[in-house]
Amino acid sequence: MATALDGNELDELLERCARRDAEALRALYARTAPQLLAILVRMLGTRTAAEDALQDVFIRIWQQAGQFARVKGRAMAWMVAIARNRAIDLQRAGRPSVLLEAAELAGAEQMRVEGPAEHAEFGAAHEALRRCLEILGTAQRQCLLLAYQRGLTHERIALSIGQPLGTVKSWVRRGLQSLRACMES
Amino acid sequence: MNYNRPELLDRLAAEYVLGLLRHRARARFERLCAELPAALTARQRWEERLLPLSLALAPVAPDANRWPQIERAIAALNGASAAPRVAPRSGARRWWPVAAAAALVGAALLVGKLTYWSEPAWEPVAVLAPANAAPLWRLERSADGAQITIRTLGPITLNATKSYELWILPSAGGNPVSLGLMPRYGKLERRLTPAQRSLLAAARQIAVSVEPLGGSPTGVPTGPVVIVASVMRAT
Repeated sequence: MATALDGNELDELLERCARRDAEALRALYARTAPQLLAILVRMLGTRTAAEDALQDVFIRIWQQAGQFARVKGRAMAWMVAIARNRAIDLQRAGRPSVLLEAAELAGAEQMRVEGPAEHAEFGAAHEALRRCLEILGTAQRQCLLLAYQRGLTHERIALSIGQPLGTVKSWVRRGLQSLRACMES
Repeated sequence: MNYNRPELLDRLAAEYVLGLLRHRARARFERLCAELPAALTARQRWEERLLPLSLALAPVAPDANRWPQIERAIAALNGASAAPRVAPRSGARRWWPVAAAAALVGAALLVGKLTYWSEPAWEPVAVLAPANAAPLWRLERSADGAQITIRTLGPITLNATKSYELWILPSAGGNPVSLGLMPRYGKLERRLTPAQRSLLAAARQIAVSVEPLGGSPTGVPTGPVVIVASVMRAT
C-alpha cells in the first residue's frame, strides 16, 4: 500500500472527492488517516476520542472538498487544518483534560523526526522548522509546541509549566515573531 | 482593529493556527479569512510553516472498523442531502470585514446589528435543546417557507452508529413526519417538499429522535425522542 504523502497525488484525490468520487476518499483515507489520527491522539489524549474525531474529519473532508483550492502541495496542510480544528472544537467544548506530567512536558520538547517527515517533499521544510525552533529559547519553544501539538490554551500552558499567564503570552508572542523571522530569512 | 497592519494580521493568523484564539475570536478570524485575502494568506503561511510538526508525529493506524463506519456515515449523509443544494446567500455578507473588525475592538452591539441586517431572509423556527441542557441546534426557515436551515450551536456528541432525526409533530395529529437528519457540525440547508412545508407552517411542535445511522428505517421515530420544541409563530 502506498503511504507516501505525495502532495500532487493528494491534490488530485481531493479534486476527485469534490466531484463525489467515493473511491478517491477511500484512497485519501488510506494515505492520510494514520497521520491525521496521530495528530488527533496527541491533541485529544485518548484513542477512542481521536478515532471518533477522525471519522468527523473525513466526513468534513468529503463535504468540503469542493472548497479546496488547488495549490501545489497544499492538500496535506488543508486536511491537517481540518483535523486540528476539529480537535480544538472538541477540546473547547469542555472535554476534561489533565495537566501534563513533567515527563510529558519533557517529551513535548522533542521534535520527533521519524515517520513520514522523512519523505523528501516535507523533509526540507521540516529541517528548516527544526533549525528555527532550536534557535528559540527553551521556554518559548515549549510554549509553541504545547499549543500546536497538544492544543493547549494560554491558560493551560501556564498551569502546566507553572508560570504566570502574562509570561506565557509574552513567550508565545516573542516565540512566534522569532520563528517567522527565522523561517523567512 | 486595523487589518492593514500586516504584523497584526500575522499575529492573529499565527495564534489562530496554534489554536490560541478563544472561541469567539476564532470564529471572527475564520470569517475574516473568508473576506480578506491577506488574512487567508497569512493563515495558510502559518499552517504550512508549522505543518512539519504534525507530520513529524509517528503515524497511528486507525481501527479496521473505522473506514466502514465512515463509508456508512457518508452514504447516509448523501441520502439526507439529496435535495437540491440551496445557493448561498450573497451580497450582504460583504459586511463581515466591518463586523469582524468592530467585534475585535469590542463593539458587540454593532456586530449584532450587522449580523441581523445580513440575514434578513431567514426567520427562526425553533431552538432545539434537550431537557435541562444547552441548545444543540437552531432551526430557521426562509421567508417563503420553502427551505430550512439547521445550525449546530454546540458540540453534538452521539455514538457513531446513530443519527439524530428531525420530525414535525402535525398539529392535526397523526404520525410525525420526518424533516431529515440533523447535522453534527456546521449548518445544513434543505429544501422542503410542499407537504413538509405546509405541515411545518401549521405545526406547533417539532421533535428530535435518536435513530440508527442514516435515519429511521420505518418512516416514523423508532428511537428515544430526546427533544420536543415549540415552533415559533411568525408575527
